[in-house]
Amino acid sequence: MVSTSTPTKWALRAVAVGYVFFLVAWPVGLLIRRTFEGGLTNLTDALTDSNVVSALALTGKVAVAAVLINLVFGVTISMLLVRYDFPGKRVLSALVDVPLSVSPVVVGLALVLVYNGRDGWLGTGLEDNGISVIFATPGLVMATCFVALPLVIREVVPVLTEIGDEQEQAARSLGANAPQTFWRITLPSIKWAVVYGVVLSLARSVGEFGAVKVVSDNVAGKTQTATLSVEKSYQNFAQGEAYAIAFLLVMVCVASLIVVALLRPKVHD
Amino acid sequence: MSIEVRGLNKKFGDFVALDDVDVTIPTGQLTALLGPSGGGKSTLLRIIAGLEKGDSGSVNIEGTEATHLPPQKRNVGFVFQHYAVFKHMTVAKNVAFGLEIRKRPKDEIEHRVQELLKLVHLSQFSHRLPSQLSGGQRQRMALARALAVEPTVLLLDEPFGALDAKVRKELRDWLRRLHDDVHVTTVFVTHDQEEAMEVADEIVVINEGRVEQVGTPDQLYDEPANDFVMSFLGEVTHLGGVSLRPHDVEVESSPHHAGSIEGTVSRLVRIGFEVRLTVLTVDGEEVSVVLTRTHARALGLEEGSTVFLTPAAGATVIPRMAVAG
Amino acid sequence: MSAALTGATIDTAGPASPQGGRTRRTTPRNTLTPGAGVGLGLAMIWFSLLVLLPLSAIVARAASGGWSQYYTVLQNPQTWNAVQLTVTQSLVVTLINVVVGTVIAWVLVRDRFWGQRLLNVIIDVPFALPTVVAGLVLLGLYGPNSPIGVEWAFTPNAVTLALAFVTLPFIVRTVQPVLEELDTDVEQAAASLGASRPTIFRRIILPSLVPAIASGAALSFARAISEYGSLVLLSGNRPNQTEVVSVRVLSFIENGNYSSAAALASVMLFIALLVIVVLDIVQRRVARRG
Ligand SMILES: Nc1ncnc2c1ncn2[C@@H]1O[C@H](COP(=O)(O)OP(=O)(O)O)[C@@H](O)[C@H]1O
Ligand SMILES: [Mg+2]
Repeated sequence: MVSTSTPTKWALRAVAVGYVFFLVAWPVGLLIRRTFEGGLTNLTDALTDSNVVSALALTGKVAVAAVLINLVFGVTISMLLVRYDFPGKRVLSALVDVPLSVSPVVVGLALVLVYNGRDGWLGTGLEDNGISVIFATPGLVMATCFVALPLVIREVVPVLTEIGDEQEQAARSLGANAPQTFWRITLPSIKWAVVYGVVLSLARSVGEFGAVKVVSDNVAGKTQTATLSVEKSYQNFAQGEAYAIAFLLVMVCVASLIVVALLRPKVHD
Repeated sequence: MSIEVRGLNKKFGDFVALDDVDVTIPTGQLTALLGPSGGGKSTLLRIIAGLEKGDSGSVNIEGTEATHLPPQKRNVGFVFQHYAVFKHMTVAKNVAFGLEIRKRPKDEIEHRVQELLKLVHLSQFSHRLPSQLSGGQRQRMALARALAVEPTVLLLDEPFGALDAKVRKELRDWLRRLHDDVHVTTVFVTHDQEEAMEVADEIVVINEGRVEQVGTPDQLYDEPANDFVMSFLGEVTHLGGVSLRPHDVEVESSPHHAGSIEGTVSRLVRIGFEVRLTVLTVDGEEVSVVLTRTHARALGLEEGSTVFLTPAAGATVIPRMAVAG
Repeated sequence: MSAALTGATIDTAGPASPQGGRTRRTTPRNTLTPGAGVGLGLAMIWFSLLVLLPLSAIVARAASGGWSQYYTVLQNPQTWNAVQLTVTQSLVVTLINVVVGTVIAWVLVRDRFWGQRLLNVIIDVPFALPTVVAGLVLLGLYGPNSPIGVEWAFTPNAVTLALAFVTLPFIVRTVQPVLEELDTDVEQAAASLGASRPTIFRRIILPSLVPAIASGAALSFARAISEYGSLVLLSGNRPNQTEVVSVRVLSFIENGNYSSAAALASVMLFIALLVIVVLDIVQRRVARRG
C-alpha cells in the first residue's frame, strides 16, 4: 500500500470527520439533547398522550405486517430468480429494484390512483364490498410494503447464489422432497441474510413518511403513524412532543444498526 | 442388471451433451465413467440420479423404471466433487439426514450413524461442524451420508478430484476396499485413466457425449475399440499405418524382420530405467519408442544411429483407419 | 447497512462465485416445477397489485391528457421552478458526494485513527433515520437560533443540506468495498517503477474506482430528485424558492388535481427508470471487465 504524506492524510481525515460531524453527528446529538432538555418530561408527556401512543402502535402494526409480507414475498422471489428459469426473469429482476428509485410521494399517488374509493381502478369495487384501502390501514401497509420491497431480496439473492444448489441436490438425492429441502437445508443456509433483510425492512418501514402521508388522511388516533405525528406535532408547535417521538424512532434505528453490525460478520462466515 | 440407460439424449441449448447413449451397468460392481473433461460424464451420472432430466431416452434402476422419478424417489446415493456438505449441521447430523427424512426411530438412526462413522474413520469427529474437517474427511463424511440410506446404487462424481494427490491415492484404495466390504453397485466418474484402471471392475469410456467402449481395464488396454480409447488409456505412436504403444515397437540395428521400417534416431532421452527415442523413418514418420536402458545399451544406440522398427509380437495394434472422430 | 441499499441492480445472471480458488459449476437452471409455478403466480399477482398496476395507473392518467397536459404542467412557472431547483440541487449534492464520499471511503479504508469505527457506523445513520426525523435533526443545527449561527432553514441551502444528509452513504458504501479489494501490489509495482503518489492515484487507483463512483453517483442522484420527507420541515416548501418536485406533486394531490400530479410523477418515473438502466449498463460493463 502506498502511504499518503502526513499533511495530505490529516487534510483528508479532517474533511471526512468534519463533514460527517457537521452533517450527521452534531445534529443528531442536538436532537437527543433537546429531547432530554426538561429531564424526562418530553418523553413521559408524549407516552401518556393517547394520540401519540396510538400513532406508535399503528406504526408498529403496519411495520410488522409489511415486513411479514415482504419476507414471504422476498424469499419466494429470490428462490425463483436464483434457482429457476422462466420467461421474463431478467425483466422481473430489474423490476423488483424499481421501488428503490421511485419517490415516496409518487408511490403514494400510484396507490391512490388504483385503490381510492371514488374513482380508483380497483378501489371502487373494493369499496362496494366494504373494503377501504386508501385512508385506512391496508393502504398504509401497501405503501410501506412498496418502499421496502427490494430489501429482503437484495440480501437473500447474493447469498443464495453464493451457496449454490449442491447442498439442495444432495438433500434431494437423500430422499428429501422440495419443502423438506427448503426448510431443512436452504433456509438454515440463508438464515442470516433473511434476518438482516428483515431488520433493514423494519427500519425502513418504521421510518416511511412520504408514501404513507399520501395514502393516509392523517387522523390522529386512527390513520396517523409515528412519522406523521412528528410532522404534525412540530407544525403545531408541540416541539417537545416532536422531539420525543423522533427520539423513539431514532432508538429503533440505532437498535437496527446495532443488530446489523452484530450480524455482519456472521453473514460472511 | 442394475442400471440400464437406453437411447439417452441431452442438449444444453444447441450443445449436444449426450448423444444417443446406451449403457448397462452391472449389479454389485464398481464401474468407472472415464473420459476427458466436458465429455458428458457428469451429465450422464446426474441424469441417472434424477438431478437433471434427459431430453429423450430411459433410465431403469434395478428393474424400476426411473426416467420420470424425482431424485428423492430413486434411492440413489450421490457424492459430489465438492462434497456438498450441509454446512450448518454436525458430522453426525449430516450422516443422519437421509434417515431422519425417512422417519426412522431415533435409536436406530443413532446406531446406524455410529456404525457408518466408524466405517469411514470419523467416529471421533461426530460432533464437529464440516468446516472443521479436512477435504478428505469431508468427502468421507459425504460418502457415509450417501451410504446411510442403503442406496440401490452409489454414484460418485469425481469424488477425489478436489483433493491433493496423496489423499486422492489413499481414498482411492480405501474406496476399493470399502466396495469389497459393502458391495453396493457403484458408479464413479473420473477423467484420470490411472484411477479408473486401478479401482474399477468395469470402465465405460465416454467422449463428446458418446460411449466409445465398455469393458474391463484389461480389455480396454489390450483391445481398444478405436484410436481414441487407445490413446486415452496410454501413450500411442504410429508405425507404418498402425497405432501401437511406444514400448511395443521393436528396435533392431539391422533388418532381421521382413517389413521392418528403416529410420534414424533423431532424439534420445534417458529417464531412469527407460530410454525414449524419437525415430524419423524413411517414410517421413516420427515414431516414439520406449525401451529399457539395458536394451538400448546392447544396441549401442545414440542420436543419429540407423535403426529398423517392427511392431513387437503380440503387441496391441489397431489400423490407423479407425481414428475416432 | 448498505449492501441492500447501495448495490446497483440485483445480479442473478452470473455464475456462483468461485470459492477458495476452485470453480463451482454454475447453478443449473431448472424449468419451473408445479410448486414453483404456483409460487411464481402468487408472487406475480401481488407484485402486479402492489407495483405494476399502480405505476401503470400513473402513466395511464398522465397519458390521458396527451402531450398538451405535460406542456401545461411543465409550463407552469411554479412547477418549472421546482423542477429546476430539484435537478440543480441534486446535481450539486451528487458532485459534493463524489468528492467527499470518495474521501470518506478512502479515510475509512486506508487510514487508521481513533474513532474510525464510530465514523463508519455514523455513515449509515442517514439510511436508518426516518426522513422526517432527518429534517427535524437538521433544523436543530441549521434552523432558527442555530448554535453555530448558520440559519439555512427555509432557504435553498436547506434543500442542499437535506439532500446531502440523505444521500451521504451512497458513494461511501459503493466505493469502500472496491477500495478494500484493490490489490495494493499494483500500487507498489507502480511506485517501484518510479510513479509519484498523485500519479499512482490518478493512473492506478482512480480508474478502478470510477465504476463504483459512477453507480454511487447515479443512486445518489436518483434518491435526491425523489426526496420528500427530509425537506418537509426544513425547507418550508416556499413556492419558487424551496419547493421541490415531490412537494409539488404532493400539493397537486392535496388539491385533488391527480392528472397534473400524474404528469409530473411520470416524468420522475422516467428519470428513475433511466437511472436503473444506466446502472445496469455500468454494472454489466464492470462485470465483463472482471
Ligand atoms: N447446466 C448446464 N448448462 C449448460 N451446459 C452444461 C451444463 N452442464 C454441463 N454442460 C455442458 O455439457 C458438457 C458436458 O458436461 P459434463 O457432463 O459436466 O462433462 P464431464 O463431467 O464429462 O466433464 C460440457 O461442455 C458442459 O459445458
Ligand atoms: Mg464432470
